Amino acid sequence: MIRRAIDFIDERTGIKKLTAHLLEEPIKGGARWAYVFGSALLGAFLVQAVTGVALMTSYAPSDKTAWASVHFIQFQQAGGWLVRGIHHFGAQAMVILLGAHLVQVALFGAYRKPREVTWWLGLGLMAITLGFALTGYLLPWDQKGYWATRVATNIAGTVPLVGDATQRLLQGGGEYGSLTLTRFYTLHVVVLPALLVGLVAAHVALFRRHGVTPPASADVSRVDAFFPKQLFKDVVAALVIVAVVLALALRGHGAPLDAPADPSSDYPARPEWYFLALFQLLKYFHGPLEIVGTIVLPTLVALYLFALPLVDRSRPGSQSTALRGRIKPLVPLMIIAATAAGLTLKAQADDARDAAFQKERAKADVRAKAAVRLAMDGVPPEGPLVMLARSPELRGPELFDKHCAGCHTLGEHGEEKDRNAPKLDGWSKEGWILDLLHDPDGDARFGRTPYKGEMPSMDVKPKDADPSWTPMPAEDMKACAAFLASQGDPPGFTPPPASLRSDPKLVARGKEIVTTRCTACHLWNGEGDDGGQGLAPELSGYGSLAWVRAQIANPASKATYREDALDPERKGHMPRFDTELSAADIDLLATWVVEKSRR
Amino acid sequence: MSSEPESKPPPSRGVQPRTSRRSLAIATALGACAVAAAAAAPAIALVMAPLQDKKGGGRWVRTVKLDQLKDGAPRRVAIIDDRKDAWTVEKNVELGSVWLVRNGDQVRAFSAVCPHLGCSVNAVSADDGTSAGFACPCHTSSFDPSGKRTSGPSPRDLDVLETKIEDGHVAVDFRRFRIGVEQKVET
Repeated sequence: MIRRAIDFIDERTGIKKLTAHLLEEPIKGGARWAYVFGSALLGAFLVQAVTGVALMTSYAPSDKTAWASVHFIQFQQAGGWLVRGIHHFGAQAMVILLGAHLVQVALFGAYRKPREVTWWLGLGLMAITLGFALTGYLLPWDQKGYWATRVATNIAGTVPLVGDATQRLLQGGGEYGSLTLTRFYTLHVVVLPALLVGLVAAHVALFRRHGVTPPASADVSRVDAFFPKQLFKDVVAALVIVAVVLALALRGHGAPLDAPADPSSDYPARPEWYFLALFQLLKYFHGPLEIVGTIVLPTLVALYLFALPLVDRSRPGSQSTALRGRIKPLVPLMIIAATAAGLTLKAQADDARDAAFQKERAKADVRAKAAVRLAMDGVPPEGPLVMLARSPELRGPELFDKHCAGCHTLGEHGEEKDRNAPKLDGWSKEGWILDLLHDPDGDARFGRTPYKGEMPSMDVKPKDADPSWTPMPAEDMKACAAFLASQGDPPGFTPPPASLRSDPKLVARGKEIVTTRCTACHLWNGEGDDGGQGLAPELSGYGSLAWVRAQIANPASKATYREDALDPERKGHMPRFDTELSAADIDLLATWVVEKSRR
Repeated sequence: MSSEPESKPPPSRGVQPRTSRRSLAIATALGACAVAAAAAAPAIALVMAPLQDKKGGGRWVRTVKLDQLKDGAPRRVAIIDDRKDAWTVEKNVELGSVWLVRNGDQVRAFSAVCPHLGCSVNAVSADDGTSAGFACPCHTSSFDPSGKRTSGPSPRDLDVLETKIEDGHVAVDFRRFRIGVEQKVET
């Protein structure tokens, strides 16, 4: 039945003859493991094509959606991480196989007459493969791809005369934007694959025309057919490659995804490892010589590879087929390979030793992790940068560094030597309040502020105290601390079991003290300050998000401190920020400060 | 069949010398080229469109308050303004960043884009906490606090941007320059 169907088709297409032609290729000198690289490359390309098409069904190329869609593929879509991981590591496998294929062909002398055109087509394929790597790196629109690719397009821009135009055409304009992505995407999924398929067809057809180039030691009287002897070896090689790629994809649970591309950020850009040699090269050519590293040397390498079959005129099959006879023309190739390896290692060693780089890298990793986590809830249509800008966790510290860290410190933010406002670690929690009640002018509290000397200690007798003064009992101070600390908790919050405020009796006792005795100076729900000093702040909601928000917006609104807080006489008091920060930013900042100081 | 007359009389020599076949070939080739051109020309025009974007042009963007800057301490500030990118228009987004260095009432602004290959330069502080200038994390270009190139591959100094003080805020004339060339030319 099947045979009849095949016969039916063969009669109309000649498919049997074609298959026989493909499979019965004679391999002069016998099948060899050394010949597997070309086929393995084809196999790897097929894997890239299949996974690439699968990725295309979920990827959306625009600066607002690219990162989000890749995040979706990597972290939410079933099997997405595996497909992306295979594509990511498959690309690296292709680069390695390409190098191996080139070296094998060079060592066997398979570039020589009459195979020059096959060699040149191969070089074209190498350029296309590197083009795939370069364009693909940008598509996730993450920090890593964005900054590394910016360097690459800027290198294109340094070419004399045509550089600026080339760069503009690649970028789709004077700077990176939506059109950069659509252009790189078009190159990656249509233009380069079309070129690759065309060149591969020509490359393989010419290879069939001329056959393999066996080494000098081979017994050329022995001839194997491509199927099954060579094809078996090729399939084994492809299987090994696929197994390694799969293992890497499984180990990395897909491929890494950095934080979304942010043009105003600082980022220690590095290319993918196979471009590290070129990256390192750029460090050595200074000022006007820059172009030597960016253009001249890479062009010389390309020219050498192009000219190799024209320089080495020895004929295959002659005595000089042996590598020994062709050392001279291959010396540059060995130097190039050794230099590339050396530069790659040097680049890695430089980075490993560079403390500033490691710090930057660690900072970028923290941001990447946070971005990935935040995006699990979905990315807004305005894009991932807006998502990050709306996150207290990421935006909070930035705002704090910009607006608060000049005076306050909190965790690793702010410089202790510049501080002239309270330290905010643990602020408004029991321990902090107990310290405040005991010694308000302590260095971490009002000691460096214009409020120094304004609040009396509750348990240390002041110098000018009247004889009736008694210290507040320790138990009362604990009760006050428990109650005030509970003021900062959001509704429905259960205090940690070990904290003072988890004891309702203590809190109730504290409430009684605070609302009757502290209101001699402080406000409680707007009432109090019997002496009319206008200094001590509102205690209801002290430490809560609403309190902090109000304090940042305007410390003189009576919701926290009062008019006197912004009295020019009290120089150095906290300024209002509602004139320079949006309500949304104040909210983000307050949320982060409360979270960071109280948790 | 044989009785039918010849569809065409054989060309008489000298009157139409070897024209028809060759001119038909040329016409066919030209026609094919015209079909290809009809498809390719508009496509090429579209792909080449970015070459016609107008270059350069700065815009004054207000950044931080002057009194938020400490004398001599470089500070990176984001340039926040409206952005039109192809089909998108956005309000108040970060376009890039600049380094501001205050000296009394004067503020110098440097583009944070390394003139070498466009990475983002960082400020470096000396052991005593004072500014030691700027360094690029990519290819080790470094610059002194006045933006002058001190070592590394950068072909020129950091790009200085004009500044002015508006109601106590530092405004910067935000521009972009070509990367990797000796001259500071706008892009």
